[in-house]
Amino acid sequence: MRNGLIAAGLAGLVAAAVVSAAVAKPAAQAAPAQIAACTNVSIGFLGPLTGPAGFLGQEQLSWLRFGVQKYNKANGTTFKVALGDTQLKAPVARTQARRFVSDSNVLAVVGGSESQAVVVSGNLFEKADLASISGSATQTNLTNGQFRTFFRVVPNDSIQGPQVVTYVAKNLKAKNVVVIDSQDDYSLPLASAITRGLRARGVTVSRESVSADDTDFSSVVANVDSNVNVVVFATQVASAANTLSNQLREQGKKAIVFGTDGAYSPSQFKPRIGYVSVFAPDPHFDPNARALIREYNRYSKNKEFGAFGPATYMAGLVAMTAIKNACADGQVTRAEVTRQTRRTNIRSIFGGRLRFSAKGDPLPTKFVIYKISNGKYSPVG
Amino acid sequence: MDWDKLVQLLVNGVTLGSVYALVALGFSMVYGILKLLNLAHGDVLMVGAFVGWGVLGWLGGAQDPTVAVWLVIVLMILAAMVGGGLLGVAIERFAYRPLRRAPRIAPLISALGVSFFLQNSVLLLFGANFRSYDSFDLVDVGVGVDWGPFHIWVMRIVVVVSALAMMAGLWLLVTRSKLGKAMRATAFDREAAAMMGIDVDRVIVKTFFIGSALAGAAGVLVGLVFFQINHFMGFNYGLKGFTAAVVGGIGSIPGAMVGGLFIGLAEAFSVGYIEDFTRGRLGSAFSDLVVFLILVVFMLLRPQGIFGKPEVKKV
Repeated sequence: MRNGLIAAGLAGLVAAAVVSAAVAKPAAQAAPAQIAACTNVSIGFLGPLTGPAGFLGQEQLSWLRFGVQKYNKANGTTFKVALGDTQLKAPVARTQARRFVSDSNVLAVVGGSESQAVVVSGNLFEKADLASISGSATQTNLTNGQFRTFFRVVPNDSIQGPQVVTYVAKNLKAKNVVVIDSQDDYSLPLASAITRGLRARGVTVSRESVSADDTDFSSVVANVDSNVNVVVFATQVASAANTLSNQLREQGKKAIVFGTDGAYSPSQFKPRIGYVSVFAPDPHFDPNARALIREYNRYSKNKEFGAFGPATYMAGLVAMTAIKNACADGQVTRAEVTRQTRRTNIRSIFGGRLRFSAKGDPLPTKFVIYKISNGKYSPVG
Repeated sequence: MDWDKLVQLLVNGVTLGSVYALVALGFSMVYGILKLLNLAHGDVLMVGAFVGWGVLGWLGGAQDPTVAVWLVIVLMILAAMVGGGLLGVAIERFAYRPLRRAPRIAPLISALGVSFFLQNSVLLLFGANFRSYDSFDLVDVGVGVDWGPFHIWVMRIVVVVSALAMMAGLWLLVTRSKLGKAMRATAFDREAAAMMGIDVDRVIVKTFFIGSALAGAAGVLVGLVFFQINHFMGFNYGLKGFTAAVVGGIGSIPGAMVGGLFIGLAEAFSVGYIEDFTRGRLGSAFSDLVVFLILVVFMLLRPQGIFGKPEVKKV
């Protein structure tokens, strides 16, 4: 009886995972090419609203909603946002993507926020001719032509990897580096690229790996030798980078943490000394963005934001502009919206104009590197 | 042999194991009395962590506390224990008691529901942002015990000593008090205990209160030593605590303590040495594999756990 109950308990825990993965009703993989009216249009948001990166998705959603209400007011449109919480889990992201595909009111998707969500949803959206525009998915392969309806407003990791390598090897003059990944589609290729790049420059590199929902890194830190200068952490959870940094200090290790873009969060990652690279400049440092920030602060209760929200605001702007252009005759298809998205040429809140390459990458952009001193961020590269 | 690393991993393992042991105790106590796996137990830990965080903010925050630091920590733990305990009582009253005579799968499903309810309630109340205890502001990282080349931060000592004190207190309560005797009688045979005049419902409520109070305290200890808390942290600690309870022998209080330390040490040492032992084939990411492999091995070879007794069935 006891063993039976324990087995039932284990089954229950498995059921918990299954239940959490099945929050949305399953839908057919339809490819609706039907013409829709422009009066009841939704923009899907595919990102982590709960789970370890929930703070990131909430920031993105808040900025997307802000952008939608601002756009509706200025253009007389009635766009709505449909939510698809990925929980930072690829199977959940696929379920949510199916839901968007089957909802004929969804004419474009903002997201997936995380690369693994794009990996599992890209084919579904492509079959449905549904444009998806990400404000944060940076994995290089996403725009190698495999997902023809995928676009992103941020540069990819083929830019981030070499930039991080150059900064760590040249500017920080690191000789011994530990690179940590968090076992997902975003972090593994990026960590591998950084490892290869650093080794090619003669830097001694060792690799560690953690889980995305780990909260204690003290035993990983025990593996960091005292002669290590920099720990590069390819993570999507900024607070994890903060804990890692604290635990390095706790164990008397001199190494500083260099976080990749997922770690960018002035409210969550506040080391005494550290670095972080991010795909878009934080508007807080841009005097031209002050009016936008004021407007956002009036709109949102959550005034803590970094680069993720504004980039998703841009992605939403791309989607709404494309739908509005496609709706010029009062009717619209998803394919038309995708075509219009490809032709995007709008003013970017990060300066200049935003256009896409044939493969869906923004033209041209680079990552920004910030130095963090006692929790204060300042751009350095 | 790298002794620095070995000692550091030992410290990490004991800290983590102390937290797992507190969680495992709650699982074991409730299982012992009701033969129920309280799968929402990890979420009680999470709520306790948020109660502690609220008290910390109420007392001026980590940077500028209005009372002495030791008092801040004590008040945080006490508040989390009371909050966790009351939550445990509410869970028992509304989610489990109505199902006491239902098939065993029913309370298990109810427990899952409670778990999701608690996670999402905290998400709604506090948002998805991680909350920080800012423990380095509360107690500087330099404060601690220096032993040769080792420095052990005082917060780790606080966590281990608090956990051991609570375990010792529980042990005394169960073995020396009237309530403990009633708990043991109820665990042994609920119907017979009722016939002997024991108010079984009251014993169950008190058991839930104590087990959940320990989980609440564990939540604060997690926040103090690992800095960050969030609305879904309970799942992992619940899972590891449950594993510890099974390995130690579910229903056994010493088993929960030993199981917790065993799992904590196994996790720490597997992170530290798995790469060396497998000659680089497996990395530190596989530490959970080791932990749950231990669970599988115990289920196969000694399903009653280290301290559990095999169940004898009358045929």
